[in-house]
Amino acid sequence: MAKHVGYFPELKRNWWLKNRYFTLYMVREATVLPLVFFIACLLAGLYSLLQGQQSFQGWLQFMQNPITIVINLLALVASLFHAATFFTLFPRVMPLRVGGKAIPAKWIILGQWFGVLLVMVLFAWVFGRGV
Amino acid sequence: MMEKRVKRSDEPIWWALFSAGGVCFAVFVPAAILFIALLIPLGLLPAETLDFERSRGLLFSFPGLIFIGVVICLPLFHAMHRIRHGLHDLKLGRDKTNKVIAYGAAIVFSLLALLGFVLGIM
Repeated sequence: MAKHVGYFPELKRNWWLKNRYFTLYMVREATVLPLVFFIACLLAGLYSLLQGQQSFQGWLQFMQNPITIVINLLALVASLFHAATFFTLFPRVMPLRVGGKAIPAKWIILGQWFGVLLVMVLFAWVFGRGV
Repeated sequence: MMEKRVKRSDEPIWWALFSAGGVCFAVFVPAAILFIALLIPLGLLPAETLDFERSRGLLFSFPGLIFIGVVICLPLFHAMHRIRHGLHDLKLGRDKTNKVIAYGAAIVFSLLALLGFVLGIM
């Protein structure tokens, strides 16, 4: 590879604030921050289940803390925002064809949202069983 | 015969885990957050929905293992990949170090989740 010589424009740390498109890109990158919090909650819950009833009650109380609820609400919004950007990307990366005809991108996007809904129904069924 | 060792990049592994985690983050995580972190703590579902014995039964089972894979491990790799590249975008730290810490954390916490699962089914 040829070595760069000459003029090198310096990229400032806040480059992504100067263009709406780049800012949205960084917002999408940041969607993983509340996700990490939610995953940490789940790991804590898993280990509280190993420690016993009392520990689990403590975990439930932590989950009921208004600050926890707010961060997890943010995590839900972030996951849906990530999903929205991800689902519109899919038909562009992998256009699907059936019988030589391209499936409209709109349908593929709708199909993926249907998948999200289906998982929610599955959760409702699993949690609702025998209650 | 001349033998030549081709130095392969490990990046495809991290990008594959990132993609797989991205699918899980979009499809499985919203429902998990909605039920476990919002509806149940807010008391919008009956209290028995997530009592101690029931939760143990649900998590320490085969579906529970799949749950750990698609809601904890893969999204964790997705998240740490984005954090690594986000740090680069913000010009924070050295990428070599960030890479080791980010994927190292994803591996350690994934193994911790799996260890918890094994302890739970024993």
